[in-house]
Amino acid sequence: MATQLLMAKSPSEAMGLKTADAAFLAGGTEVNRLGSEAAAGAETLISLKRCSGMDHIEKDGDNLRIGAMCTFQKLVESDIVPAYMKEAAHFMASRTKRNMATVGGNIAALRSDSYLLPTLFAVCARLEVLTREGQENICVNSFMEEALSGKEMLITEVIVPLGIKAVSKRYANTAQSHAVLTMSAAVTEKGITMAAAVKNSGIYRFRKLEEALRSGEDMSEDDMIAFFRGAEGLSISDDMFGSVEYKRYLLGVTAYDLSRKLADSGKGV
Amino acid sequence: MAKQYKVVHCTINGKKVEQVVDVRASLTDMLRNDFRLTSVKKGCEVGECGACTVIINGEGFNSCIYLAVWAEGKEIWTLEGLTGPGGELSDIQQAFIDEGAIQCGFCTPGFIMTSWEIVNSGREYTDDELRKALSGHLCRCTGYENIFRAVKKTMLRHLGKFEEAEKVNSQGITEYPEPMPFK
Repeated sequence: MATQLLMAKSPSEAMGLKTADAAFLAGGTEVNRLGSEAAAGAETLISLKRCSGMDHIEKDGDNLRIGAMCTFQKLVESDIVPAYMKEAAHFMASRTKRNMATVGGNIAALRSDSYLLPTLFAVCARLEVLTREGQENICVNSFMEEALSGKEMLITEVIVPLGIKAVSKRYANTAQSHAVLTMSAAVTEKGITMAAAVKNSGIYRFRKLEEALRSGEDMSEDDMIAFFRGAEGLSISDDMFGSVEYKRYLLGVTAYDLSRKLADSGKGV
Repeated sequence: MAKQYKVVHCTINGKKVEQVVDVRASLTDMLRNDFRLTSVKKGCEVGECGACTVIINGEGFNSCIYLAVWAEGKEIWTLEGLTGPGGELSDIQQAFIDEGAIQCGFCTPGFIMTSWEIVNSGREYTDDELRKALSGHLCRCTGYENIFRAVKKTMLRHLGKFEEAEKVNSQGITEYPEPMPFK
């Protein structure tokens, strides 16, 4: 249990304060929820609330740079944030929570029911992170792999592309419940991309499916269901959120729905 | 490791205060235990039920997941701050009574704080927007419709649309004497 709270005034100060038994604290909306036990075990919390210059939203050519401490509500209210990011932020149904929850915090929590990660995976978002060695620009997939391997990083900015189309869907018993599945699909310059957060399982990018769709294969709903029924590398388990069969079926029908939605809307924004 | 304490300076219901708090304490705990502001309810304590909602610098927050130390320099309003000097109820509080938007009353302070933010925003929310704006609150008694009606009527009155407010029916829908003409 945390007994000490440190208030950092800048990202570099926060990184300097980070020790093995410390965790960064951003908006604080996920700390007490089941599934965030890793952060709850820290002896020291380093609050980022007073770090200046971390809540901006700025256009940068074909991209948008979002400060890691930018709140979900700020995303929703912004005129320059793409619709797909607003849709993902709206998955957090409560406005009072959106006033607190931060973009960087939601990514770094690495929850298997993350609101933003499936969308960020699908649109191939990049992150500016501060490490012991200095500033790095990495893709969100690499961030996840390195964070899970224990590398100490502090997200300072999230970079998302403008001018692309992405759609998402989230399944939960209530607007406030943990989602059994959040899935996103996008049309990027490489072609269609798909990613999903499966509760108690993890975040996945479905590259084999993407390759099949990019090669022009016309997949029916049954094909998609069959693909996910046999998809390897998904460590899905039976739990209170549903059986393995149910979750794989849901992945299939949702992938089909999202690919149809993208096809119907064309490649424009 | 020993407990750590910090001094917090903030304004609560218009009054400047200073309080020593455990750095792990939530704003809910500080408001209830140190200032006896018991309108701030402890419900889920994970930011899902909205019973602990307070206004911080003009925006609604779940105080149960907001650290007390984060309140440094902030202006905080709770339900106790909405009443007049003689204990008169504010219009949004009165509307909750008039519309039967209260049953057990546990969720009511949180609902009223968010509603207060909405009706004082100077903006006319659509029915859908209003429902979404209130979606961070759970009520197990009233079924929400009376709450929705109370907020909608008060919002319209704040915008000077008194006649329209009176036409909001029991389903929360604004009734017009004749069908609206097509444009």
